[in-house]
Amino acid sequence: MPETGGFMVAGYVAAAVIYLAYTAYLLAKGRRAKD
Amino acid sequence: MTPIESAERTLRQGRTWILVALLLLAAVYVRALLFTPAELVQGLAQKIFYIHAPSAWVAFLAFGLVGVTSVVYLFLKDPRLDLFAASSAEVGMVFTSEVLVTGPIWGKTIWGTWWTWDARLTLTLFLWFVMLAYLVLRSAVHEPGQRARYSAVLGILGALLVPFIHVSVYLFRTLHPMPVVLKPGRPTLPGSMLVTLIFSFLVFTFFFVALLRYRYALARLADARAGAAAERADA
Repeated sequence: MPETGGFMVAGYVAAAVIYLAYTAYLLAKGRRAKD
Repeated sequence: MTPIESAERTLRQGRTWILVALLLLAAVYVRALLFTPAELVQGLAQKIFYIHAPSAWVAFLAFGLVGVTSVVYLFLKDPRLDLFAASSAEVGMVFTSEVLVTGPIWGKTIWGTWWTWDARLTLTLFLWFVMLAYLVLRSAVHEPGQRARYSAVLGILGALLVPFIHVSVYLFRTLHPMPVVLKPGRPTLPGSMLVTLIFSFLVFTFFFVALLRYRYALARLADARAGAAAERADA
């Protein structure tokens, strides 16, 4: 079995960064809309 | 309840929905990384599949919704449908971006290259650009009726790509793997991997619904406030 753990981690980290960044952007927009 | 109060209530509830979705997403990570066996030939990199395929499904769902609501908008001219389509397009862009980032990382390990101009990859990138154009168009046209009409047409054209992308692996000679779940016949995946994949599909769908609900409430709130301000100006 090839050792490809680095790629696996890179994929999961990249996905988490994309989703968390958008979620933070959306929630910040919601907070600004409330004010 | 006024439209402004209704949107504000959805935003308050929406934060809880998003928090629950993020916790479930963390559970997908734990299940996929720690409790799902590695595939024998591809090794650990194959686990990218558990976030890549559900993201692709959600992206197609999002753009499918853009297409359907855009068609209905052109008949009914209800501005809520336009706001819903725009919200779905924005959230769909996020999931498509994830697909276009994780795909090459997985591809590098099994194909030996980050990118190839394969039919499915190229069409997915093309869909991303069409939806980017959709969002840019919306910010460039200021008259609401005109903006909604133009973007509905572009949204429908973009959504037409979705079925082509799904069947592209059958229509063209391609490096991309064939579907293992969304295909005729039984899924060709061992039990524990299938459980992880189904769990991930459900969680990503809920995550999409939570984000879309919040994004749509924001759009409705902005629209209702703009309407109220216009009424005050007229009075």
